[in-house]
Formats: sequence, C-alpha cells, structure tokens
Amino acid sequence: MASVQLHGLTKWYGKRRGIEDVTLDIADQEFITIFGPAGAGKTTTLNLIAGIVAPNGGGIRIGGRDVDGLEPADRNVAMVFESYALYPQMTVFENMAFPLRSPKHRTSASDLDERVRRYAKVMKIDHLLERSIQALSNGQRQRTALGRALVRQPDLFLLDEPLSHLDAKLRHSMRAELKEMRSQLGTTTVYVTHDYLEAMSLGDRIAVINQGRIQQVGTPKEVYFMPASVEVAQLFGDPEINVIDARVKSKPGGLRGLQVLGENVPVGVPADVVLNGAETVKVGVRPSDIDVVETNSAANFHGLVYSFEPLGTKSVLTIDAVDGTRIRALLDGHRTFDVDRRIQFRIDPYSLVFFDVERGRFLAKSKLKGEEARDG
Amino acid sequence: MNESVSFFGLVGRVSKTVLLLVYALFALFPLLWMIIMSLKPDSQMFTTTFIFSPTMENYGAVFLRSDYSHFFFNNLIVSVSAVLLSLVVGVPAAYALARFQFKLKEDIAFTILSFRFAPEILVILPLFLIYQKTGLYDTYFGLIWVYQLITLPLLIWILRGYFEDISPDIEAAAQLDGYSWWQVFLKVLLPLVKPGLVAAGLLCFIFAWNAFTFPLLLSDARAQTSTVVALRFLASDTVHYGQVAAAATISALPEVILALLIQKHLVRGLSFGAVKG
Repeated sequence: MASVQLHGLTKWYGKRRGIEDVTLDIADQEFITIFGPAGAGKTTTLNLIAGIVAPNGGGIRIGGRDVDGLEPADRNVAMVFESYALYPQMTVFENMAFPLRSPKHRTSASDLDERVRRYAKVMKIDHLLERSIQALSNGQRQRTALGRALVRQPDLFLLDEPLSHLDAKLRHSMRAELKEMRSQLGTTTVYVTHDYLEAMSLGDRIAVINQGRIQQVGTPKEVYFMPASVEVAQLFGDPEINVIDARVKSKPGGLRGLQVLGENVPVGVPADVVLNGAETVKVGVRPSDIDVVETNSAANFHGLVYSFEPLGTKSVLTIDAVDGTRIRALLDGHRTFDVDRRIQFRIDPYSLVFFDVERGRFLAKSKLKGEEARDG
Repeated sequence: MNESVSFFGLVGRVSKTVLLLVYALFALFPLLWMIIMSLKPDSQMFTTTFIFSPTMENYGAVFLRSDYSHFFFNNLIVSVSAVLLSLVVGVPAAYALARFQFKLKEDIAFTILSFRFAPEILVILPLFLIYQKTGLYDTYFGLIWVYQLITLPLLIWILRGYFEDISPDIEAAAQLDGYSWWQVFLKVLLPLVKPGLVAAGLLCFIFAWNAFTFPLLLSDARAQTSTVVALRFLASDTVHYGQVAAAATISALPEVILALLIQKHLVRGLSFGAVKG
C-alpha cells in the first residue's frame, strides 16, 4: 500500500510524443482511472510507473521512495496487461504461482499453495487451476491475469484496459466485481481505460489524458459536470455533448442575457464568464438536458428531425435547428419521431456549461435554480 | 466400416492411403537398397537383387580395417561443435533482431541470410587460400568456423520468427513478477521458443553433418569428415559399392537417432509456427 507521485513525467518515442509533463498525485488506497482516447498516452504512463520503459524526463515516487532507475522487479508493483501477458506454456496454477517463486517474492511451498488457491477462489477460477492457458476463454484468462497480480500483495496495482477484450455482458459483470474487489483489497490502483463508463463507475478520481497531456483530474462528478475543456466534455457521455455557439447580450443594469440558436435563453450568464471583449461563448448542453415539447411557447426552439434512433429505454434524436446547427437529444424510449417533422424543443437553462470560444477552456456552469435565487 | 460413409468418401480414403503408401515406398526404397547393398558380398553385388547371402564383411572392412571411425568421430565433433557455437551466438542474435530497434537492423539480418546465397563452390577458392595462410586449414576450429556459414543463418532466421511471436508484454510481466532479465530469458522465453530451437538445431546438425564441399577442400587427413572419406571406397583400384553403402548407412545413423529422440518437439516445432494466446 502506497501513495504515488508522478512529477513532470515525459516520454518521447523518437519524434513521437508518448506523454509530456504528466504530474499526478495518487493518494494511498486511492483508485484512480486514467481515461483518454486511443493513443493518448495512457499505457505509456502505466509502463513508466511499472518501469517497463524509462522516461525522458520527470520522476516517480511510490510510497515516498524514488523509484527512478529501479528495475521493474524492484518496484513491487503488479500489472495486468491489456493482452493479459500470461505464460502460455504454463497452467493457471503455475501462472499464478510464478511471482511467488521469483527470487524477490519467494514463498514457502505450503504458503504458496494456500495463497494461489485463496486468490483463485476470489477470482472464481479455482476449478481451472490445472488447465493450460491455451484452453481458457478470454474471460478466464483475464481472471487468471488478475489473480496473478493479486497473489503477491503489491504496493500498487496497475490495470491496463483489463476489460476491453471481453464481450459486453461479461464486461459489465466484471466491472461490478472489480468495484467490489477494490473495496475489499484497499490497494492503491491505477486503472487505464478508454471506456468513460468504466472510468466513472470505478474511479475515486479520473485523470483525463489526451495527446500525451493531462487535461483534467477530478472526481467523476467534477469531470462530467464541470469539464475543463470542450475536449474533455466531448470524451464523456454518449451521445456526445452538444457544443453550440452563443451570443452574450448586455442588458441594462449590468445583467447579461444569452442568445442560443437565435433565441434568448431565460438564464443569466454567470459572473465567472469573463469575455475579454468577445461577444460569443461556446455552450455545452448534454443531450439528456434537451426535451422535445408539444406545447407552443415563446421560449421554445424550432427545428427539423434529422434522424431518429430508438435504443430501447432511450432514443437518440438528431435535430437540425433553425440556423443549421445539428443537435442531439436523448429522449424517453417510448416516443417516436418521423424524419423531417417540424418540432419544438427546450434546453434546460440550468445545465449549461460555458467555454471560451478561442481555446475551448471551461469558464463556468450555469447556476441551479435555487443557487441563482440565493445569489440574487 | 460406418455405413454412412459415402462411395466418394471411401474412394477418397482408399486413394489417400494408396498415394501415401507409394510415397513412402519412393522415399524409403533408396534407404532399403543402401542397407541391402551394405550387406552383400562383392561377388553377389551385380548378380542378385533381394536374395543373397548376407554378410557383415563390408562393415568389418569399413570399421575394423580402415580408419573410417576416426573420420566419423571427426564429423561428430565438428558438426556438434558447429551447432553448439551457432546456438550460443545465434539465440541472442535472433532475440536482438526480433526485439530491439537499432540502426541497420534489417540490413544486418539480410547480410546474415546472404551467407547462404553464394554456392559453396564459388567462395571456396579464396577461403582455401585464406585457410592455408592463417593455419586454419585442416583444423577442427577451421571447419567449425566455416560451418557457421551453413548453420548460423538458418538458426537465426528460424528463431527470430519465434521470438517475434512472443509479446513483449510477457517479458515485462515476468520482470514485474520479480525476475531479472536473465531469469526471464531462461525461465520464460527459452521454454517458449523451445520447439523452434529444437527444429532449427536439428536442421543445422543435418546440414553440418552432410556438408561436403567445405571439408573436402578445407581439410585433410586430420580433420576430414566421414562424408568426404566415404568416397575413398570408390576412388581406389576397385570400386567397393558394398563398403560405400556400409559407410553411408553408418553415416546416416546419428541423424536418424537424433531425429527420433527429439521427434516429439520436432513435430510441434515445424507445425505450430506461433506461440498462441
């Protein structure tokens, strides 16, 4: 059990950037997920922590100890690889026993046997111990890889997309199991994933990484509701968040109004939205915060149905707004819409996220109804 | 036989068996003929085919009344040493060519392969002169060295493929499990490439054992090998086909015995190219 500090970590592969200036503090017993799209530098970060590759700059501390220059064997971390990296010539038992037979972690035969069997039971593979790796399904291989990481009680777990090669159903059940396991074990864990659902459901905190740089570190709620940038906002949620250009209109009395898609929105622009002379902002709206309404109202937006995808309990509606902006809405599953039908929709004015136009940085989040009243 | 087997299925099975039988005869008959010849006395060599009075006279002449056994052991020493040297040099080389990225990597790999491009007879003259000058002529070491031209490219190129098939993750995993690089190499990597190692080793041994041009021209009374010496029974005043056959039969034995000993690994090595999983 240990805390981990990454400090200005940088890795180049020739001219290609792996990661650059990654700084991250991981508390003891914390479960942190590193989330980002393919090629963002997630696995590079893990490999650097494990000592599989050497950094070009920066340093790593595990449990208060500088591990720069230490061999992987000397860092007392355990890793589960995306490819599982099981030893194909060995049985499940031998795979799990392998760390305990190493010079670093040598264990007496009876203790070894007891520990392998105990963790095989935890991973529900105790009936497969004598099987060869070749004869296992993907899910069983994945459990074996986890078991091999668990047996020697390391300071730190590194999990590299452990669920990505499982089929959807198994992935969901394993996600629940992992969540349960982590509360039992309490070992510091770094979990890499490109699935935002995994990142949000498992992590105490999420480190969002893109193009080799950390974009934001925060709790799942922070990252989802107050994304640091348009980029981060777009990585979380499916369908993707709508990012719409909006005009800020000064009103008498210092109040500022907002105009979205040519309509005035009944919400004041928060004071933290500093415009530096510009009149426009980008506004992020989650598809679930858009609703199609049947009753006429001056506050409604107008549009045409562009496409409609029923998904069971929910359905995704894509709308062409009056000014040509395409907007996705997530609606209840029981409603149906014909393509090209004229509709009116509402945007929940209290769920808006403001970004600056130039760099897409987070500016503010519209205040909830109650908060605004209190402010006033 | 199962009644559900169709007429064509039956014909297919029968013709497959017949074809395999024909092929087996084709492949094995020369060997059988060689053994028969080696057991015939000279007087019956041209007058009999399968019915003759067998004798061990030829084996006696080859082994007891000539120095053939000396050259037989020469061949054993030179071939085994050549294979061992190739393993010591070739396994790390194959690993490096499979794993590491370095300048001129592909050029080096190609150069090693190109050792086998030129027919031996083409390079033998300069080699002969160099060997004469440097004192390598007619030494075990000289032959072992020149045999690397035959064995090393084969070994490196076969094993390189095997190492490439092993995911680097497996090495990293073993290191994280608490092993040093050398322990990972010995405990994880070598067992994984064992089928390839066995197959390549055996092929190298066969090629080294059967080498003819190099020992013919680069060695003499001291280091000459049995492949070259077997011809002596042809070249003297009379042609002793029986003795040539006896010498050849004995010569083939080490390869056959070795192949049988490691057959289990060999079949896996040649048919399962990749490490699965």
